[in-house]
Amino acid sequence: MTTLVFPLSRIEGHARVTIEVHGGEVVSTRLEATELRGFQHLVHGVPAKQMPVIVPRVCGVCSTAHHVTAVKTLEDIYGVTPPPVAQKIRELLLLGQLIQNQATSLFFFTMPDRLGLASLFQLVADQEGPEKEREEIARHALTVRKTGTDLITAAGGQFIHPVKAVVGGVTSGIDPGTVEVMRAQIVCALPVACKLFDYYIEMSLALRERIGTWGDDEPAYYIASTGKSSPVYNGNIIHVLNYDGIVHDSFTAHQFRDHLNYEDTEYSYAGRTSYQGQVMRANSLARINMADSMGTTLADDYLKQFQQKFGRPAHAILLYDLCRGIELVYALERAIELLEEPLDLKETATTHTPRDGEGYGMVEAPRGPLIHHYSIENGLIMKVEFIIPTVHNMLAIERALMVAARRYVNTERVSLELERAVGRVVRAFDPCIACATH
Amino acid sequence: MKQFAVLQLSGCSGCEVSLLNAEEWMDKYKLAYMPLVASVYDLPPVDVLLVSGSLGSDEDLYNLQHAVRKAKKVVAVGTCAISGGVAHLGDRDEIRRLFLTQNERFHLPRLLPKSRPIDSRVAVDCYLPGCPPTPELVIAALFETPGFKAASTVCQECGRRKAREMRPNHLVGFMKGEVQAEICLINQGYLCIGVSTRGGCHAICTRAGYPCVGCRGPSDAFIEKESQTWFTSIQRVFTSMTDVPPEEIEAELHSPQLAMFLFQFSDYTSDPLVESEKSLRPKEKVL
Repeated sequence: MTTLVFPLSRIEGHARVTIEVHGGEVVSTRLEATELRGFQHLVHGVPAKQMPVIVPRVCGVCSTAHHVTAVKTLEDIYGVTPPPVAQKIRELLLLGQLIQNQATSLFFFTMPDRLGLASLFQLVADQEGPEKEREEIARHALTVRKTGTDLITAAGGQFIHPVKAVVGGVTSGIDPGTVEVMRAQIVCALPVACKLFDYYIEMSLALRERIGTWGDDEPAYYIASTGKSSPVYNGNIIHVLNYDGIVHDSFTAHQFRDHLNYEDTEYSYAGRTSYQGQVMRANSLARINMADSMGTTLADDYLKQFQQKFGRPAHAILLYDLCRGIELVYALERAIELLEEPLDLKETATTHTPRDGEGYGMVEAPRGPLIHHYSIENGLIMKVEFIIPTVHNMLAIERALMVAARRYVNTERVSLELERAVGRVVRAFDPCIACATH
Repeated sequence: MKQFAVLQLSGCSGCEVSLLNAEEWMDKYKLAYMPLVASVYDLPPVDVLLVSGSLGSDEDLYNLQHAVRKAKKVVAVGTCAISGGVAHLGDRDEIRRLFLTQNERFHLPRLLPKSRPIDSRVAVDCYLPGCPPTPELVIAALFETPGFKAASTVCQECGRRKAREMRPNHLVGFMKGEVQAEICLINQGYLCIGVSTRGGCHAICTRAGYPCVGCRGPSDAFIEKESQTWFTSIQRVFTSMTDVPPEEIEAELHSPQLAMFLFQFSDYTSDPLVESEKSLRPKEKVL
């Protein structure tokens, strides 16, 4: 038996793919997460009120999601409802994260696969070569990405490990000067993002031509909490879609154990979830499959084109990336809308009294529904659970790797296209390994 | 063009995300190795090596020792690389035992008994604290901008004004609702330690209404002193500005959230027999 080990790059965190081949047959495909820090144990004994500062450190890419989820979990335990302006600012925070993340995933993680490059920064470094005209792709991508981080800063204080969400609401509103500057910045970034996305679509179609497939397109269940129209990322209900894209099951974070099955993985520091033993997928494709409409003009155009061309629900994994583009455009448009509402109100947080107990919090992170579960005794954290969106995709990633491996392995040879295919498959799911292992 | 590499050990990628927000490096440096954004698996010889994350596994150890041989200058970026960071909270004995037995996996990198700073194994030329350091600070470490000096304390950069008439009786924190603009957070009853925290971040958290938790570590005035000096100094600030009982301040100061950051320049948890010469990082090397 031959074991092929592929290091991974252009994903968040440390992981590798292992494929076992025997006599021309692919025996197994595994995604092995190789890092671990141990947050579920290391927060034991920490004062509960420090969780919104400590848990963002699970991940510097997804820190916003952990920050808001930690606050929502404590609010669940203390019985606190934040005022509407705070919910709006939290939604802006999550949209900022979505912009940053989808821009990073599309343009820095997966665009190089479409352009045949090792890194988007090669477009900048190669001063004299044929890439000179394409240098602006890298610079525009950084600009769009920075629009997301600036929005997180405006709504959250700082763009990595934000601070403004607190139990009861947010520390303060966003002053009109900042709002105006931010809105103008996003208005400028929107056409740039659309132009980059249009180019990305073109390059993706070319990739499809070259390799002859959009990847594993067997049906799967889908999990998302954004809703059927005008997606909300700061939501409360998790939905599971069946193979036909119909909402099959809905539950709150508190009930997740009755609906999802979580298991540790022998060969990886990340766990995995499944829905009644079925392969399940979270992240952009899940949310787009769920969406009747996005509720904003340009995003709805892109959504309609996508659904006309690929059907609904769409299952092929390389379509995940196209869905991220639709969400990038949506997030920019929706942020402009929210920034037109008053955000400088005086009462941005209600008072609260901490108490012991057990509770759950959930947000839709860019990679899917994120759940935190804490139990507090004497004001200290006793037990925690983190259900990370990437773990919803583990079975799906390994199945997609199997489909890809079978294309490139036979009794005569292993094609080196497999090396590139492994990277494309894993990146399609945009996993976050620091989060998944935590 | 100079070349630089970014090596991530056991960290959260926050320091890498911060770097991506600083475009200035593209005009002066070539990025030779950074797996987050480039599919390059062999680190070539580079002028500067930025290291983030702590030594958490044997694979981290191998990668670090292998990488520093290729670099002319090594920079420890962020709290994790400097002192173990948030993973260090898991080094408490009662947690560590639980942790190491529950998480055994075979054929994966073995976890080290404790989350270690990188200078426990390799020589470091520059320490850049912050969780994460701001993009401006990462550029300053990369470029060695002549004359760059971070502000001395966060308090200096904050811009909120002291309100002599506001003397809270207790550390009320966020239980009382939203934060008042423009007024010092200590006057509003928050445990803000910005007065003794190294500046350079432009006080982004306190400006946004969140008390400083000291992620850049102690300022130059405290960096080579014992922890008791720091505790006494904070107590003095609170006594002069508030009516909060010292026992309440004392209890709040001994907290995981602050411990993570406060002692990053003097590794108080290191084994005294082995690490004593290395237990202080000289302030000349800290940006």
